Amino acid sequence: MYLTTLSGAEGVSDGLLATMFEARKRIFVDLLGWDVPVVAGRFEVDQFDDPHAVYLILSDESGQHLGSARLLETDRPHILDTLFPELCENAVPTGPTIREITRFSLDPRQNARQRRHVRDTLVFALADHALANGVEVYTGVAGISWLQQILAFGWQCEPLGLLRENGRTLLGALRIAITPETPTLLARAGLVCEPCVPSQPIRCAA
Amino acid sequence: MLMMSGLGMAREFFGLARQASTNADLVQALACVSSNMGFDYFALTHHVDFASAGHAAVRLHNYPDDWVAWFDARRLGVSDPVHRASQATSIGFTWQQVPELIRLTTNDRHVLQCARERGIGDGFTVPAHVPGEATGSCSFAVAPGRCVLVDILPLAQLAGAFAFEAARRINGMRSLNTHAPTLTERQRDCVLWMARGKTDWEIARILGLSQETVTQHLKQARERYDVPKRSVLAVRALFDGLISFSDIFRR
Repeated sequence: MYLTTLSGAEGVSDGLLATMFEARKRIFVDLLGWDVPVVAGRFEVDQFDDPHAVYLILSDESGQHLGSARLLETDRPHILDTLFPELCENAVPTGPTIREITRFSLDPRQNARQRRHVRDTLVFALADHALANGVEVYTGVAGISWLQQILAFGWQCEPLGLLRENGRTLLGALRIAITPETPTLLARAGLVCEPCVPSQPIRCAA
Repeated sequence: MLMMSGLGMAREFFGLARQASTNADLVQALACVSSNMGFDYFALTHHVDFASAGHAAVRLHNYPDDWVAWFDARRLGVSDPVHRASQATSIGFTWQQVPELIRLTTNDRHVLQCARERGIGDGFTVPAHVPGEATGSCSFAVAPGRCVLVDILPLAQLAGAFAFEAARRINGMRSLNTHAPTLTERQRDCVLWMARGKTDWEIARILGLSQETVTQHLKQARERYDVPKRSVLAVRALFDGLISFSDIFRR
């Protein structure tokens, strides 16, 4: 498994980002039926996919997208403050050490076991990314089923407010504290990190 | 009348649930938060048959002993209508909504009637589904004649989810999955096609193997799980998340 960390500044021209946007379309639009924009009928790209967004992408040796997550800076417009501020009882947590995890996605072409491996590895990658980049807190919006899974990862979560109805599900916002102990907590919860090679995206010389 | 608009009275509970290191701690925290929310009872449980020995399942509650004895004597852990209803949704529901979620049998109505006779009236149940583990729930209930406060339900939903997670952590439910047998990719493929209803001959054609090889793979998969029947093998593989419902039904 390969782990690539990219910023939105690379644009869709980056092959891996394009594969991820296509995968997101399959997951969030085709599978989950979310009402989000689709570009050119192929890519799920919204207003937050801008040069400030950071992507953690897991791929296989042939460059196929296995799973990914998007991190948004919280002192810029992000999902919680723009779309769901009512999920926070108090002010939306913002600041240079807080990132919002959005579009956590696992490629549906994999079977349940593969998805679980990718999921676990991606959660560890998020914790490592935070620790390496001075991020102390993740926030995120989740439907109730996914929220129960996020809690079950064993890291330190607390609700930011009450759950609210949204279509046929309940949505809630969580605050996840990341400390040097987080990877241990994840492992204790039974998550298994697959060995993955950090890959630097290859650029063509201009 | 309690009016809820925020996390308010449960804010302390989230901290207590996270720090609880024993079931006794969690029971104390649950008793406090359930009573603050206007409930008489709480019950956090895995949906298994508690009368059968050897189960490392969790059940924390303050229900009347009389009711628990009656419930266990009838092995209702898996067939209780509220437990069954909670398989049908991930969102909390009041017990009055149960008939909207599952078809109630005569026996189910009898169970609900008996609960009332033993001091348990209406309630609210928060399902907890974690892939690869026995499903469970956290319920809050009131005595007959008292009402569940609708305003409190969003808070009860959240309290239930956090309580269940604390119970998993304290009781080491999480490590269950790491002890599960693993199958080879080929065995898994065969189990998946078997679960989709294919015969060995059909699976052989689909996967490009000989029929004997498929039969052998499935036999070895049964041996790894130590189960006598193929139907049980499919259910175990589903339970462990080795295959999923969406794998089976995907076209």
